[in-house]
Amino acid sequence: MSKRKRPALDKPAAEPTAPAPTAVEHAGHAEHAAYDQGTLDPTAYDHATPAEVDYDDHNLLGQADWVIGGEAARKARQQGLYAGYVLFLGALVYGLPIVQAVFRTSDAASLGDQLRSPVAIALLVASVAALLGAVVFAGRFRGPVVPPMPWIDLVLPVPLDRALALRRWWRYAAVGGLFVGALSGLTIGAGLAFAHLAGVVTIAVTTVAGAALGVLATRLWLWSQVRSWPGPDRGLSLLWRVPDALRELHAESLRAHSANTSTMAGSALTGNLRTARLALTRPVRHGRSARLRPGRPFGVLVRRDVLGLRRTPGAFLSGLGLTVLGGAIVTWAFTQPAAPSIAATIGLLPLYLGFGAWAEGLRLQADNAGTPSLLGTGEVTEAVAHVTLPTALTVLVLGVEVAVAAVLGSLPVGAPLSLWLVLVLIVAGNVLAAFRGSPTFMLRPQMVVAWYAVPALTVVVLGSVVAVLTKAGNYTWLSVVSWLVYAVLAWAVSKVRRLTYQHRA
Amino acid sequence: MGAVAVLTGEVRAEGVGKTIDETTLLLPTDVSADPGECIVLRGPNGSGKTTLLRIIGGLLVPTTGTAMIGGREADERDRAVRAAVAALLGAPTTYRDLTLVDHLVLIDSTWGGDPATSDDRGLALLDRLGIAHLDDRFPHELSSGQEQLFRLGLTFSRPASVVLLDEPEQRLDTAKRQVVAELIRERTESGGTVVMACHDPALTASLASRVVDVVPAR
Repeated sequence: MSKRKRPALDKPAAEPTAPAPTAVEHAGHAEHAAYDQGTLDPTAYDHATPAEVDYDDHNLLGQADWVIGGEAARKARQQGLYAGYVLFLGALVYGLPIVQAVFRTSDAASLGDQLRSPVAIALLVASVAALLGAVVFAGRFRGPVVPPMPWIDLVLPVPLDRALALRRWWRYAAVGGLFVGALSGLTIGAGLAFAHLAGVVTIAVTTVAGAALGVLATRLWLWSQVRSWPGPDRGLSLLWRVPDALRELHAESLRAHSANTSTMAGSALTGNLRTARLALTRPVRHGRSARLRPGRPFGVLVRRDVLGLRRTPGAFLSGLGLTVLGGAIVTWAFTQPAAPSIAATIGLLPLYLGFGAWAEGLRLQADNAGTPSLLGTGEVTEAVAHVTLPTALTVLVLGVEVAVAAVLGSLPVGAPLSLWLVLVLIVAGNVLAAFRGSPTFMLRPQMVVAWYAVPALTVVVLGSVVAVLTKAGNYTWLSVVSWLVYAVLAWAVSKVRRLTYQHRA
Repeated sequence: MGAVAVLTGEVRAEGVGKTIDETTLLLPTDVSADPGECIVLRGPNGSGKTTLLRIIGGLLVPTTGTAMIGGREADERDRAVRAAVAALLGAPTTYRDLTLVDHLVLIDSTWGGDPATSDDRGLALLDRLGIAHLDDRFPHELSSGQEQLFRLGLTFSRPASVVLLDEPEQRLDTAKRQVVAELIRERTESGGTVVMACHDPALTASLASRVVDVVPAR
């Protein structure tokens, strides 16, 4: 047994209030004395019902803390401070140089004008809206207030104020949101100032704006968690009535969010993303009356994906938002001389993720690997059919953005070629991600993270190289890199075959 | 899919067994089935019936013995074997964004079914299984028994000379078991081969051409 210090009992846990039925009060003290002496029969209970019982919530919480965590609970809270310290150091060492690199350009004046343009401001607003939307989306299945299961099962049933019982986890999230927001604002403002694109005052403005955004995001996150369970009070006013929001959290909802956290953590650590995907995605209920039109195998598979997107408008819209955002940044990087080279690196990730949101058919094909075949098509044909729709949609978005860029300014000769290579990379990266299978090595968190990141990293690194070579006009090396891009595509196709047949052992 | 050899429904498993490390999943067992036959695998839980079906379907490599489908090694990587074998071994992954009838139309189309009558075939099969009224439901909206019927529908909706079924009767009431028995009987009467694991004595008695007792390793 660890040496634990029990919190002082200032008052008995349950004490009647005025008008005090003294007999009950005495009975309460007598019960405690009997417990202390170990002579109380736990099955014997005084059934006299007082009009009201006043609980010392803080005392009850202190006892629960002591019983469940002892000193470990306090140490766990101190670890939060250490995590913040590490985050701050990380922002200082990595964040600032990266942001400086983002805005470093040979033509600062022109870049400054572009960053102040209505298009740039609209993109910024869209990015913030997308971030807040993502927070609301995440809150549906994993909110900011997720106590451990024993706390939910053993402490929450006690009749103490739920706002107090859950306040700790809310504070972790609130302080974290404030800290991350302020730190992000500070990093971006400092980067802009060091790159001579803005004055020193900008640092203070972006820091405050980042902190405000962090607070708003955390409150929206909580609001979304409250809305994940039916109840009477679900209005936006909960954003500034945090204690009421905490009181609205249902024990079953907290249990579901806690279970979702375990599912996500388990899936992430074992490399089994399918379990998390199926557990967390909202069941499809739209477009029931639409029918899959029969036809030739390839066509019917493509129509399956079209029907799938019609029935999951959320996936379609999130894919559209990400692709428009990523495509705009990448197109800007390839067509505007003033754009920093690293802009393409930043734009590639949302572009890659947007394609992925439209590629559910591809992932379902990979999920089916290893089961007796139901479809009469070959694995590569099926995979090609499943990338047809997301590829067509991405080409459409990129085509519109290139056309806009051509109308607004110049369109360098190499830009369409480089965008084609980026498109091939995005397709190959998503096929690699869908058919990555399961990790076959000893599961250590760092290795699993690296294993996850391989497809996205391949896209981002090679795409960035393409951007740098395009801006430098180095077409000799660009042709060499284009072979590497096609090699990645061939690797993706080989992964389709390997995952389809590797199960036979 | 290209040119693929059409295999007959001859199933030959000779002395197939499976051992992983020190654990024996299946003792060496013989199974032989010809077109038009229904072979029932019988044995207690854990005796290796599913393992045997997975070996016959080419999903698993036996540690001992050989398994052949239509004269070729049972290997799921072989397109001809894949085209010949339809199997319900565990829960197939379904598309969460397709309704029941959409699934059947998709399978029918990928096997070259006539597009003009694909819907009718799908609805007719659902009707046979007694779940035609659920045609516009998504798979996650079914009860466990309805889900089992739907899985059987998926398996029977594709052409195959060999059908492998792992306890097709599970979660079904008596009336639905008779429906499934009728589907299996039709398949064998039309020259197909069925190999299935089954715990239902009545179903076994009414369908089995032969019964193979699978002996547990321990």
